[in-house]
Amino acid sequence: MPDLLRTFLRNRKAAIGLAIVLAYVVVALVAPLIAPFDPIARVGRPHQAPSAEHWLGTTRMGRDVFSQLIWGTRTSLMVGIVAGLIVTAIGTAIGITAAYFGGLVDNVLNFFTNVVLVLPQLPLLLVLAAFLGQVGPWAIALIIGLTSWAWGARVTRAQAMSLKTRDFIQASAMIGEPTWRMILVEMLPNLLSIIGFNFIGSVIFTIITEATLEFLGLGSPLALSWGTMLYNAQTASAIMVGAWWEVLAPCAAIVLIGVGLSLMNFGVDEIANPRMRTLGNVAKALRIEKRLLRQRMQEANQ
Amino acid sequence: MRFLLKRLSFYAVAFLVAATFNFMIPRLLPGNPADIMLANSGGMIAPEARDALMATFGFIDAPLHEQYFAYLGSIFTWDFGLSIKFYPMPVADVLTQALPWTLFLTGAALLIAFSTGTLLGILAAWRRGQLTDVIASPTALALQSVPAVVVALCGLYFLSVRNRVFPTSYAYDPKLDPAFSWEFAASVAYHGFLPVVTLSVVLVGGYLITMRNNMIGQLGEDYLAMAEAKGLSDARVRYAYAARNALLPSVTALALSFGALFGGSLITEVVFNYPGVGNLLYLGIVGRDFPLIQGQLLIMTLAMLLANLAVDLAYVFLDPRLKRA
Repeated sequence: MPDLLRTFLRNRKAAIGLAIVLAYVVVALVAPLIAPFDPIARVGRPHQAPSAEHWLGTTRMGRDVFSQLIWGTRTSLMVGIVAGLIVTAIGTAIGITAAYFGGLVDNVLNFFTNVVLVLPQLPLLLVLAAFLGQVGPWAIALIIGLTSWAWGARVTRAQAMSLKTRDFIQASAMIGEPTWRMILVEMLPNLLSIIGFNFIGSVIFTIITEATLEFLGLGSPLALSWGTMLYNAQTASAIMVGAWWEVLAPCAAIVLIGVGLSLMNFGVDEIANPRMRTLGNVAKALRIEKRLLRQRMQEANQ
Repeated sequence: MRFLLKRLSFYAVAFLVAATFNFMIPRLLPGNPADIMLANSGGMIAPEARDALMATFGFIDAPLHEQYFAYLGSIFTWDFGLSIKFYPMPVADVLTQALPWTLFLTGAALLIAFSTGTLLGILAAWRRGQLTDVIASPTALALQSVPAVVVALCGLYFLSVRNRVFPTSYAYDPKLDPAFSWEFAASVAYHGFLPVVTLSVVLVGGYLITMRNNMIGQLGEDYLAMAEAKGLSDARVRYAYAARNALLPSVTALALSFGALFGGSLITEVVFNYPGVGNLLYLGIVGRDFPLIQGQLLIMTLAMLLANLAVDLAYVFLDPRLKRA
């Protein structure tokens, strides 16, 4: 495991991404300590521009935007991680089961996955959330988690299928290893990169989707999250009255965590598939080789 | 041909599943739409109308399976009942009015995003580690994780409110009547510019990354070395050989991106108050217009399936192996 971590950190993109995400995690953990104001108390005049006292200004209700942003980090990260775990668990289970057992099991699971993939997801989520009434962040995490596993199941299945044809898997099957051991000990560790990729991607997707659902007014208006901030800004016509801080602050928070997570994902991809690298190292190696060649030729000429 | 038949039957079943899902949601969840609507109408709907309302949702006084078949029948007759928000317009008419705007928005954005993303992806892979790649790839990566809400709100704030370059809502100047005139077309283009750009920006990153990765997968292949050895021009090897083969997985990815396209268009339409079906769905949800929501979901599912079918057709065209099978 430390080896894996070292390889991960040696990748510059992954390291930067991890640093961004860790910063968010720290903010989420210590939110009550670092938030300067109570996020739902009236602490200033409505629509105050950013100042020394209110770093990111205030909302129409006179609430401190910066404090809301900090508390929102907590909600968004939790929802993202919970939904990400559900998505990954379901996707991995279905993908590996389909690939490992093949035949009828594969046909049924694969068909089911493909059907879910061609359904218009966001509209369905909207309607589901609307029928359930204004749902809290945990319910949103659950809804997204239970409906978004299809893509992960598809890629995991593809990867597991190619893994199944490898010699060591076939050999283990021939020795007569029990099914659970085949799946948990032989296959799962070799699928770690695709599972990690799926998890991080799902967290991004969930954070974006949660913000979208809440922005549209389908989440609980009492929740403290970036999406609710956007919703409140929208209902207060913050954009029209020029209170840009109210809109741009949560936007920036969402974009930055998204970039951090996808940098991590890019890193995972590059580690698992070295051909994807931007080739900084290879280009450098080529240059050094050329220079050595030139030096040698000069020496030979002398 | 067999490939297409297989796909067609798959879509038929998928549609049935979606329709069933659509049928179940209001029935499985607590409360029923008619009662919620009555409660929300604040006396605007007479309690006597409750039975008629129930009937519009297929909540007829009959066993569940009969309700189900009645509902399935309404798909073929295109009779989704009357809209509540736009009463007394039939849902089918409301949707027909909104559909062209969404098709325009999604079609234009898809065209722009896919061609730009694919082209830049080809170049980024071809000149890996050089300027195009170093700038385009991380930008695409960042764009991929930027939600449509953010792009739309930023566009609205910076270009429509702060600097009044573009209008903040509608698909054309309400003072104009729809007509085949230059003035009207110009108004449509002017109002559609920001929504189309928003949606393109949201989509372009994914296409770029996919194409770049596919292209890199092709780079080491022998047939490219052969083409180069024959003395073909760099551009010809790049586009007619490598890109042509790298395009196949990209087309598959295109089908998978329709969900994002529809979702993104929904958000864009809401933020820019653009009169498409996405905005309509939003209005329907906010106004608890259940007939509209149900009809809407069916139309959107149908559109998703048709778009996927179109991609399948393109796939057959791009991959001659499928034609022979």
